[in-house]
Amino acid sequence: MAKKEVAVVGVGLSKHVSKRRDVNIAEMVWEAVSACYEDAGLKPKDTDAFITGNMPAFEGVNLPEEWGAGHWGAYAKPLLRITTGGTTGGSVAHGGYYAVASGLYDIVMCIAFEKQSDGNSTMGLNTVALADAAAQFQLGVDPGFMAAFGGGAVGVAVYQASSYMKSSGCTTQHLDKVAALCRNNAALNPYSHLKQPGLTPEEVAKTTLLQYPIRFGHVCPATDGACAMLFTTGEKARKMMDKPAYVLSVSSCSDEAAMVGIAGSGTTNTDPCVQEGCKIAAARAYELAGIKEPRREIDLAEPYAPFAHQMLMFYERLLLCDEGDAPSILDSGSMGLDGELPVCPSGGVISTNAIGASAMERVAEAAMQIMGKCGERQVKKEVRKAVAHGWGGAVNFNVVAVLSDTPRR
Amino acid sequence: MEYKNETVSIDGGWPLSTWQWKMESIALIQKSLEALKKKKLLGLKCPGCGLVYFLPKPYCRCLSIPDEWVEIKDTGTITTFTFSGAWAYEGIEEEGATGTPLIIVGIVLDGSDTMTVCTLEDVEPEKVSVGMRIKLKWPEELLGRLDDIAHCVPA
Repeated sequence: MAKKEVAVVGVGLSKHVSKRRDVNIAEMVWEAVSACYEDAGLKPKDTDAFITGNMPAFEGVNLPEEWGAGHWGAYAKPLLRITTGGTTGGSVAHGGYYAVASGLYDIVMCIAFEKQSDGNSTMGLNTVALADAAAQFQLGVDPGFMAAFGGGAVGVAVYQASSYMKSSGCTTQHLDKVAALCRNNAALNPYSHLKQPGLTPEEVAKTTLLQYPIRFGHVCPATDGACAMLFTTGEKARKMMDKPAYVLSVSSCSDEAAMVGIAGSGTTNTDPCVQEGCKIAAARAYELAGIKEPRREIDLAEPYAPFAHQMLMFYERLLLCDEGDAPSILDSGSMGLDGELPVCPSGGVISTNAIGASAMERVAEAAMQIMGKCGERQVKKEVRKAVAHGWGGAVNFNVVAVLSDTPRR
Repeated sequence: MEYKNETVSIDGGWPLSTWQWKMESIALIQKSLEALKKKKLLGLKCPGCGLVYFLPKPYCRCLSIPDEWVEIKDTGTITTFTFSGAWAYEGIEEEGATGTPLIIVGIVLDGSDTMTVCTLEDVEPEKVSVGMRIKLKWPEELLGRLDDIAHCVPA
């Protein structure tokens, strides 16, 4: 059990675009960090510890904290770097939660970022796949087949999408609808990357097909951007502001890699859309948060969905409806900004994906919606409890956080 | 300072063929590959939970050590699929796509609990579905490579 209540008292985001040529990584991150200090009314000297994270080597450089620390006010302070693939930012937020909940630190700055245009993300992804791909080549797989099998994140996502569509009744029209919903939300978010106001599902359906069943319009962009959040104790937060966002719980779950097992062996994670790990993490997070009926008690969801089908798939895996029901819930309109349970009000990862930052931006959006700081994209209903999610690894790692406007009773 | 949009190349190599992540795993897999030459599919069964791994794995998700070699069947079920090359499915077509149409499927072979990936042949793309039954299509000459089990047809 947590020793201390944990609250978010500040959120900062940099500008998010495909190529930041006017700043270097440390400077881009400082935009988010300084905005976060300003939001919370704190200064670097007030901070007790730092948690940072980004993808390893996606920028073509590593150990970013080595030169970033000086730029962010972290010299002579405890600092921890966390990097867990697509879930990195979520894990960084979990790190901030643990640091405060444990009673070890009072004020913790969490920083997550990616400046993809500085490096080669495909090269970065290759380092992830190296162990498995190298083994497969040694065991006698035709490189031509490996290429057809599909490279990179899209290659993994198409298999998940096609099995999800068969098991849920989700159609390609639903994928188009998800993309249109998210990109329209993104148009109201000053920190989003792909803003497409008025985009219709019909327009998404006309975009180029990448690999069945995923079109160009169903996929996230590659983004440069950073996110920073300040975590502190409930006690301190109440002295600082009227309406902090409390983090009630965090939970993560690591499952066996899907599609291809470690070093060419078989994997028992045979269907990439099942995402048992997400269900386990969500159930544990709700239990820790004292939530008995997530479908009734959760007001807003920020699932991690760089690919359109994932918004619906993870809505189900976050236990917010029965499996297979998400497509019809989307049709009902309840996932919109004025709906009963708004989903991806930020515009989601499908609109903005600075990889290392993305899973933390889900937590940040949940916090900002609870604090009522979302401006034009502020959802209509009052947000008392929200769930934020991250997904990564070889489609096998899930992180979940539950936030609230009140501490757990 | 002006930003120069140019790429600088530095010579280097990535010797994939020397990379061996887990020798133990490779040794087990080689036994299964050797058996392929006799058209036999050898999986490794876990004594703790009964899961059968094909290709074999040196440790089970329940943390027991799979140690019983069992023969699994060359029939199975499709769990997921996609297409490559020129194809059409459910009214969707990849515009301007060229190349040999390939149907790539994830399958679970009968008697195993793991997924493997191969191409589905001798069938129209429209017929493909999750849950469809398949049978491996063995090549005439068996080489004891993963390529030996890289093709299947509807059962």
